[in-house]
Amino acid sequence: MKKNKLLLLSAAISALSTVPAMADDLVIGFATAQTGYLAPYDQPNLAGLQLKIDEINAAGGIAGKFPIKTIIKDTRTDSAQTALVAQELVDEGAQLIITPCDADPSIAAGMITQDAGIPAISFCATTPTLPLAVGDHMFSNYPADNVQATMLANHAIEQGYKTAYILTSPDTAYTLKLPQYFGQVFEAKGGTLLGEGTFTMGQQDFSAEVTKIAAMNPQPDVIMTAAYEPDFPAFIRQLRGAGVTAPIIGADAIDSPTTFSLGELAEGVVFSTAGHATEGSALEAFNAKWQEKTGNAPDTIYIANGYDLGNIIEAAVTAADSVEPAAIRDGIANLENLAGVTGPITFKGTNGMPLRSVALVRVKGGDRELVAQGLPEAADIPAP
Amino acid sequence: MTPSDEPLLTIEGLTVSYGPVEAVDGIDLTVKRGEIVTLLGANGAGKSSTLNALVGLAPRKANRLVFAGIDLLGLPPETIVRRGMTLVPEGRRVFASLTVEENLILGGAKHAKRGNPAAVKADMLARFPILAERLHQKAGLLSGGEQQMLAIGRALMSSPDLLLLDEPSLGLAPQVVDAIFDLIRDLRDQGLTILLVEQNVAQSLEIADRGYVLANGRIELQGSAAELRASPEIQNAYLGA
Amino acid sequence: MEIFLQQLLNALSLGGTYALLALGLAVVFSIIGLINFAHGELMTVTGYAVCFALIWGMPFPLAVIAGLGVAMTAALLMERVAFRPVRGASGTTLLLTSFAVSAILRVLFQNLISARPIPVSIPASLSGVVTIGPLHLGMIQLISIIVTLAMLLGLNLFLHRTIAGRAMRAAAEDFAVLRLMGLRANSVVATAFAISGLLAGVAGILWVAQRGSVDPLMGALPVLKAFIAAIIGGLGSLSGAVAGGFLLGFIEVILQAYLPESLLPYRDAFAILLVISVLLFRPQGLLARKTLVKL
Repeated sequence: MKKNKLLLLSAAISALSTVPAMADDLVIGFATAQTGYLAPYDQPNLAGLQLKIDEINAAGGIAGKFPIKTIIKDTRTDSAQTALVAQELVDEGAQLIITPCDADPSIAAGMITQDAGIPAISFCATTPTLPLAVGDHMFSNYPADNVQATMLANHAIEQGYKTAYILTSPDTAYTLKLPQYFGQVFEAKGGTLLGEGTFTMGQQDFSAEVTKIAAMNPQPDVIMTAAYEPDFPAFIRQLRGAGVTAPIIGADAIDSPTTFSLGELAEGVVFSTAGHATEGSALEAFNAKWQEKTGNAPDTIYIANGYDLGNIIEAAVTAADSVEPAAIRDGIANLENLAGVTGPITFKGTNGMPLRSVALVRVKGGDRELVAQGLPEAADIPAP
Repeated sequence: MTPSDEPLLTIEGLTVSYGPVEAVDGIDLTVKRGEIVTLLGANGAGKSSTLNALVGLAPRKANRLVFAGIDLLGLPPETIVRRGMTLVPEGRRVFASLTVEENLILGGAKHAKRGNPAAVKADMLARFPILAERLHQKAGLLSGGEQQMLAIGRALMSSPDLLLLDEPSLGLAPQVVDAIFDLIRDLRDQGLTILLVEQNVAQSLEIADRGYVLANGRIELQGSAAELRASPEIQNAYLGA
Repeated sequence: MEIFLQQLLNALSLGGTYALLALGLAVVFSIIGLINFAHGELMTVTGYAVCFALIWGMPFPLAVIAGLGVAMTAALLMERVAFRPVRGASGTTLLLTSFAVSAILRVLFQNLISARPIPVSIPASLSGVVTIGPLHLGMIQLISIIVTLAMLLGLNLFLHRTIAGRAMRAAAEDFAVLRLMGLRANSVVATAFAISGLLAGVAGILWVAQRGSVDPLMGALPVLKAFIAAIIGGLGSLSGAVAGGFLLGFIEVILQAYLPESLLPYRDAFAILLVISVLLFRPQGLLARKTLVKL
């Protein structure tokens, strides 16, 4: 069965690469990861987007006249391979290119697409400097690190926390900068940063760092980190193991089933995410639809996020009334308050990182509890 | 043919080649029960290759390779050894980081069927008192002669019918060499059959019943030990007469 | 002083896990000259086995036993399917084969199981703290120290007290002569892989207990650490692997604890630098052994 699907898929792909697209087809190229460490992020986004594409094509295409064709290629989570794949997609006539959930490969691909004048959107890169590094044809599809960090810092101040400790890893921009943005906002609003620890991603050993935190006197009111799997569970386990009881604030990458399976350990952890399915919300409706189509409840917000990328594309092409790359770029850049399933999305007036609402969620009894939702004041957001 | 006349080991057309190099080129050889047969020859004549091929450690081809009625062709070393033919390799090759006792235990590990290991071990230690003394020392700390005793003792732990000995006197002091040759003769007298590869031609022919001389991978001479001792070729080439 | 003692305990716990991993590599290398880079995937397999055993309702201790069984079986299968056909080939061939096995398994995990991490519900009792005077020790840390010591002791007994264990030590020295004792090459190699699988399984469970999830790539980093530890210790030396593992754990923890904050991001660079300097003085590793690897 699996084999049949693979055969069909490869037949479909080879058909696409040999038969020229029709004049009114929108060809979307995917330079994203099906293997490697970005696959867990790219794959659910792709699945969500695919659902939207199927819906669009079932209705005769965007605005009833621009059917979508896809060319999907694996980047193996390798930046050089991502650039190579992006070039192939450009050569094969893609009018819009989707790049992986991380800034580095997105920049590698963006160098190609920018020169070719083709718009590129990252599934969920959060580094606010991404469009600055590439140019005016680069977009992302997720709340930026500095926006998330501002929401989190606002929450910390509201909770009355006076002092904070941040744990960073220089291994990625996300794990380094997001806590630092948090620290900036926290201090700007009167908090005190007691220190910054570091870790190496994937090592899982926090014992030395945790011993240092446990020895701090006084203890920080709150600890903030953008560590995620496998580091986050290991960190919190070892931190609690060392007797540290300070509350923990995390970022969107821990919005994962693992976090909710940690039981007592993760109880009370607050983190940012792209959306929360409150009763009667569009996200709740989407989740229900997904469950109906696939038989499973979505286990990550990235599925809805991918679906929203489909909404962005649909709206941009509809506004442009064209599948010319330049027109699509302008269409995306001028989107304002698009009603996505995760909340309103705005590109107008930004450098390419969208203004999207951020939800703050607290882990409670193995489930999520909404703490806050919305957008921070523009003046509070630290410059990238 | 009486049973004792039937060869314990029959080799016909044995060839050993390492890639394009032929170390042994179609030799015929027999060893009868209760004999010491010695295989003589210069360095590189193919003596060690012959022994290694017999136990399956070297790549081999042959028309016939029969030991005690068993076709050896295609059998791996461990099976051949379990059938009662074993080799004491050149350079002794004791397990240096294991104790003397452990070396002996491994030698007898898979041969409970052929003899009671405890009895065999007791017998062995009576034969080699020096090994009994050093039972718990690392084998690598023994002297060359002691290591040779251990290597032979280890091979005997499998209660073999045929013992292949590769240069047992190599690099040992003259007194020790004498002791080794005495031991080989004793073993034969107690009923063991022995195929002995040696460079020490004089002493080998003294204890052997028959011998073969190998040169460039072929049998050049063969006969009883007395015939070989008397042959001019041996006299000139090896015995320095 | 208390903090220093605490850091020493931390080093012991981390070093122990590295030692188990390095030992797993060394056991196989010492016998057939193969550095098995698919060792990490044995950890991953163990993780998935424990994970699915728990999902199917097995109690945790049973799931652990199932995980270890699966790890040993997987190691034996790996040997039978991938490594036996190339046994005796050059080191490069063996190395490339192990990379291939590792890559194939990762892609299979990603495509047949999930690219995303799957949570493993570790019992809450394993999240507790043990307090010894002023020192705090996480339950998992404590268990990993105890389990490591028990494994090292058990392996030592096995290697010195049983025929199979002695055969493995002998095989590491001179495989050809071991076969002359009538011991089957295949069963000795299989024993080595089974032990290596068991060590990977134990390390894998300790690893998963810390992180609470399994993902297809989780074996990559541990096997790298194990490789470094085995190199420091002297490739192929079992006691060297243990020493190398503990030394690496010690270096990492002490640097993390005592490097000034501004230098902390370079901790791994310092750690590797120290490893290189060890090798400058002892190019064969701490406890080198004469390598004699042939069949």
